[in-house]
Amino acid sequence: MNQKNIRNFSIIAHIDHGKSTLADRILEYSNAVTKREMEEQLLDNMDLEKERGITIKARAVRINYKHKDGQDYVLNLIDTPGHVDFNYEVSRSLNACEGALLVVDSTQGIEAQTLANAYLAVDCDLEIVPVINKIDLPSADVERVRNEIEDVIGIVAEDCPAVSAKVGLNIDQVLDAIVEKIPAPKGDPDAPLKCLIFDSHYNSYLGVVVYVRVIDGTLKAGETIRLMSTDAKYDVVEVGYLNAFGLEKADQISAGEVGYITASIKTVSETRVGDTVTHDQNPADEPLEGFKEALPMVFSGIYPADGARYNDLRDALEKLQLNDAALSFEPETSIALGFGFRCGFLGLLHMEIIQERLEREFNLDLITTAPSVIYKIEKTNGETIMVDNPSNYPASDTIKTAYEPVVKTSIITPTEFVGGIMDLCQDRRGTFKDMKYLDSSRVELHYVMPLNEIVYDFFDALKSRSKGYASLDYELAGYEASNLVKLDFLLNGEIVDALTFIVHTEKAYTRARKIAEKLKDNISRQLFEIPIQAAIGSKVIARETVKALRKDVLAKCYGGDITRKKKLLEKQKEGKKKMRRLGSVEVTPEAFMAVLKLDDSEK
Amino acid sequence: MKKLGLYIHIPFCKKKCNYCDFYSCTSIKGLREYISAICTQIEREAPLYREYLFDTIFIGGGTPSLLESNDFSLLVATIKSNLNLTQGAEFSIEANPGTITKEKLTCYKENGVNRLSIGLQSTNNEELKLLGRIHSYDTFLKNYQLARDCGFNNINIDVMYSLPNQKTNDFLETLKRVIALNPEHISSYCLKIEENTPFGKMEYLPLPDEDEEYNMYISMCELLTKNSYDQYEISNFSKKGYNCRHNLKYWLSEDYIGIGPSAHSYFDGKRYSYIESTEQYIKQIKENQIPNKIYEQTEENTHSSPQMSKMDEYVMLKMRLSSGVNREEFESKFGEALEVAYPKITSFIQSEYIVYENGAYSFTPKGFFVSNYILTEILKF
Repeated sequence: MNQKNIRNFSIIAHIDHGKSTLADRILEYSNAVTKREMEEQLLDNMDLEKERGITIKARAVRINYKHKDGQDYVLNLIDTPGHVDFNYEVSRSLNACEGALLVVDSTQGIEAQTLANAYLAVDCDLEIVPVINKIDLPSADVERVRNEIEDVIGIVAEDCPAVSAKVGLNIDQVLDAIVEKIPAPKGDPDAPLKCLIFDSHYNSYLGVVVYVRVIDGTLKAGETIRLMSTDAKYDVVEVGYLNAFGLEKADQISAGEVGYITASIKTVSETRVGDTVTHDQNPADEPLEGFKEALPMVFSGIYPADGARYNDLRDALEKLQLNDAALSFEPETSIALGFGFRCGFLGLLHMEIIQERLEREFNLDLITTAPSVIYKIEKTNGETIMVDNPSNYPASDTIKTAYEPVVKTSIITPTEFVGGIMDLCQDRRGTFKDMKYLDSSRVELHYVMPLNEIVYDFFDALKSRSKGYASLDYELAGYEASNLVKLDFLLNGEIVDALTFIVHTEKAYTRARKIAEKLKDNISRQLFEIPIQAAIGSKVIARETVKALRKDVLAKCYGGDITRKKKLLEKQKEGKKKMRRLGSVEVTPEAFMAVLKLDDSEK
Repeated sequence: MKKLGLYIHIPFCKKKCNYCDFYSCTSIKGLREYISAICTQIEREAPLYREYLFDTIFIGGGTPSLLESNDFSLLVATIKSNLNLTQGAEFSIEANPGTITKEKLTCYKENGVNRLSIGLQSTNNEELKLLGRIHSYDTFLKNYQLARDCGFNNINIDVMYSLPNQKTNDFLETLKRVIALNPEHISSYCLKIEENTPFGKMEYLPLPDEDEEYNMYISMCELLTKNSYDQYEISNFSKKGYNCRHNLKYWLSEDYIGIGPSAHSYFDGKRYSYIESTEQYIKQIKENQIPNKIYEQTEENTHSSPQMSKMDEYVMLKMRLSSGVNREEFESKFGEALEVAYPKITSFIQSEYIVYENGAYSFTPKGFFVSNYILTEILKF
């Protein structure tokens, strides 16, 4: 295929603005799939993605399209993950393209992720084609959104397509815009090979299927390739294109094209997104720019509710890791929770997705500890350590300076909620940077905030203070020195390691009190009184008591209904079996989970 | 011959009490038809019980005292002519003070009823009204005296505690008045709010807290014991020799059959109950069918966990009683030492939830009141 007739593009959007639906319509319109086959959205093929309406992993599909100029075109749609946690993956997907469709909901306008994604696309030098969606809805305001795109992002939106992906209105204009506005790739098919890995996927028959954009050169089956970040070599088994319904084998793939490589690669962790594939013989001089390893930012302990299922949990994590190189885990032991894993995630959404997949796809009941970040500690002995588990936080007298990760956040909200959100950010130790009016009714706020505060139910609090309207985006902005303390919780005099927090000194008292109260409400009475204490070192800063159980009896057993009594006891026993014994105290898994969410907005 | 208890359920009430979630109908139109259905079932099933001797009969409800004398006589006649009764069998009937008459009492007496169980619940008229009872304390007093006059010398009085707004002293007041009447037996139940009852649907009900309930229970046990009422079960007290033998069958794993919708049976090693529909019960009897039964799910017929074994069930039932689980009896029944099968049982002695006396482990009053908790600790299921 002549490069002049290839268009490589992504679709970017804020969550729920209709990215997947538009992708479906494009495939349908160009006859890549029929309507009947389109019953399910193709690009999102995990259940969870469908439910949440977000795309977790990138996929790509090759579309043949006859333009009105009479020529045949190949349109490669490279799908991108739609969330801030996957920013790096988004940027690699964008790097594989020359253009991007920026989908904006005509009833909502620009949101935090619209902006974040648009900026990413600008950084990648992409031609951005705005697409205004959902014009079938009564509350659509196409002109307002057009102006907003021009004013806020600074790209021309005057004649951009206004569509309804849902009902299939004006999809032809989108396809025309792709051909006419997005530039063709300009690689050199005879230059040394350079392919950008933008995704990979494990298949039990083929091994890892590596999704690539060929930038320069040509690759054939049987040739030996080298991954430039690791210098690992593989013999190519197969190359080809990505069709809507699977892989289409080809003799070769060359500059400008999007396709796949199989080479008997065993795990996706060998094929890192952003890495450059070249020939082992006659390699490229330089790899493509921008490769970095996806580093976890958020950590949490994951334990099976039923300790006997530790091995099942390990198997499940291994299976998920096959297709998710960003997920890290290592065994961890907690006195309170037994054997489990310390897992690292790109962000909060990534963490939630993994937890949900473990529970749904692998049928596991989990106990998870509060999310934590990585702290950098300079010790008095000159050593510097990184701590991702609060339990391992060193004693205060051995710490010279503690540093915590901070993030730049962008929050877009209707103006009426600005006050409440500013209070929230202030409360979460945010430093105000600036505030911009997007239009008369919406504002973009910038704060620098400790990540520690974001991972702790910030998103829920933001949503509840804005009736669900505010949107959030954040990116890591380095480490800052901070006044942190380790907060322990004791039940009946014993530290419960799974509840240990790292918290800013100023917030220690409030948080200690709240969690102690929550624990009190969530620990059922036992035959003795249970003191709950929150302590910094040996200093107790909050205290609650669970009173002793006085009554737990079925006093009346009517007319010889022994069955009812048995059922009641059996149910009680079942609950008891799920409990964790901490020293002499029994605690339900729910108690651990309850302290993870402290909704501190006014009710 | 093997012994058997007979329970007859009369699922009819003038009015449902605000706390009650047991099966009963408030329209008494079908009562006569119902009695004839019961009689038919007894006649039809009599051959099954030919090898048994009935040593207890308990007519419960609902409100059995709603029955007119001729219906009651018919029922008793059917029982007597179809089933083998022991000499001196215990024969109880439950009576609501609001439905007792001299005529009915005489009829009971003539038909051989030798134990009367009267539902008083409280001696405080405001509490009675709150509970939705149809009688006052005075009505009760009058009818209690009437029963004595008719020659009933084994009377139980039902009371309740942990009522809305009730304080320990309020309840002790009820108890003291009841004790002054000198009944042979007192049943005292803790009010439990059930979902599908008027109480369960109320948004706000000022119930005593757990500590107050505990005080009521412990003070009650002390007061009744002091007045020579022996606590023989969690909620039951009696003068010497006046235990309710029928109710004891439930806890001693002895056989009993229950007749009527929602009545429970333990017969031939199986537990079952008839479904809760008087209409359907009558219809099925008329059509010569066996009324629908629900069998208890056991280890043999399900695989859901956790499930009590026969051994667990034995211990659980025995621990309902103050006599508790006897070591020797247990060992000869199961071939295993009690402390080996249930090692945790001894760990509650020091804290005085359980005592070991006369070769048996049993709950103290304080232990009774948290017996569900302790049983889930001790039992193996």
